Amino acid sequence: MRKSKGRQKIEMVKMPNDSNLQVTFSKRRSGLFKKASELCTLCGAEIGIIVFSPGKKVFSFGHPCVETIIDRFLTRNPPQNSGTLQLIEAHRNASVREHNVQLTQLTSQLEAERKRGEALNRMRKAGQAEHWWEAPIEGLGLQQLEQLKGSLEELKKNVAKQADRLLIQNSNPPQFFGAGNSNHGVIPFDTTIPYDTKNVGFSGHAMPHAYNHGYGRGFF
Amino acid sequence: MTRKKVKLAYITNDSARKATFKKRKKGLLKKVSELSTLCGIKSCAIIYSPYDSQPEVWASEHGIQHVLGLFKNMPEMEQTKKMVNQESFLRQRIAKANEQLKKQQKDNREKEMTEVMFQSLTGKSLHNLTMMDLNDLGWLIDQNLKNIYRRIGQLNKVAQKGEPAAAKTEGMVVGSTNTSTTPSEMNNVQQPHDHHQRTPGFEMNLDTMQRQQWFMDMMNLPQENNMGFGGDEMMLPFGDNSHNALWSNAFFP
Repeated sequence: MRKSKGRQKIEMVKMPNDSNLQVTFSKRRSGLFKKASELCTLCGAEIGIIVFSPGKKVFSFGHPCVETIIDRFLTRNPPQNSGTLQLIEAHRNASVREHNVQLTQLTSQLEAERKRGEALNRMRKAGQAEHWWEAPIEGLGLQQLEQLKGSLEELKKNVAKQADRLLIQNSNPPQFFGAGNSNHGVIPFDTTIPYDTKNVGFSGHAMPHAYNHGYGRGFF
Repeated sequence: MTRKKVKLAYITNDSARKATFKKRKKGLLKKVSELSTLCGIKSCAIIYSPYDSQPEVWASEHGIQHVLGLFKNMPEMEQTKKMVNQESFLRQRIAKANEQLKKQQKDNREKEMTEVMFQSLTGKSLHNLTMMDLNDLGWLIDQNLKNIYRRIGQLNKVAQKGEPAAAKTEGMVVGSTNTSTTPSEMNNVQQPHDHHQRTPGFEMNLDTMQRQQWFMDMMNLPQENNMGFGGDEMMLPFGDNSHNALWSNAFFP
């Protein structure tokens, strides 16, 4: 479903709506500076742009910098080419190159994360259609809420238990796990333990019987 | 007009660079002009290129000297407050992109852990989760529980506000209503009801509903206000433990 109208052709006159005008100024100024920056990088141009905002503030962009461009223009002087200046410029250009590389990287990372976000949204949507407990809670009845509450509380306990197990596992060297130890179910690399690995969840553990109560294939 | 992605670096090919310069310069000047017109503001642009000793200049009304004069007449601090060069401008853009990236990563992490949470609810093992995963999952469960407690509270309040006769079922408002408890009539969820009793809205298919007829029966038994059930306290009409298994399979096949 389309959320907005998309790109529309607009008339080249002063915008009638003041708040739209503010937003437009902000966005277009930003885009303008971006285009100027690209022109400098791509073609080695030297540019100065001055823009007064609707609120009478002034924004300016300049490469190498606003002041030198203005002075160069006003005094009609050709740019100086001293060795020092060239060195400074070389440094500056190297720095700009690095920034551009970094920016390009970030932009593509951001793009990738956005795509991932969309994929996750699709997963969630698909899940909601299949399982009532995945729907937003505003849409659930009291019965369902109580049930979901119970299951989540149970899950929370299990998460805590698993976290404890990991702590123990990580702090004890493997040789401490002997045959008599009730934790031996957690060793991933000990293949001699005959528990059913196909059974997801906790029912396969060599845990005291009480822990198996109510687990089965889920927490309900 | 080609829409290839252009690498953000100096174009080494001379003719390509010159062609790009011509096009982009024209586009840039157009954009400045549009900005001025649309927003009714004053602006100017000065462009020096390796191809021309004279700069290309554009200014809104009254010419470039006017705009430059306005600029220079401002106090130095006002001039420099929003002044940028390539470096500072790129740094700003990098900072913004970083911020957006972090936010997106955080959102994605939450969405991802939500999926993990739902999968764990249906029995998927917690074994593959790292310590960090478990921490995040625990946090997420807490957030969800908080919302659920709040919502249950809201619904119970509504229940208490209702008339005494309807009080015990008023809370279960969401979803379709149901007049009877027999299996056949349970399928007609859209039927209007002539008494207060309602059942919660289950968006389940017919099979699941058939399997839960005993559950629906239970709904008609005299109950206290809060009809929630934890695993052990639930009053099963058949009263034996074997139906725990039935129940768990029914809800989470």
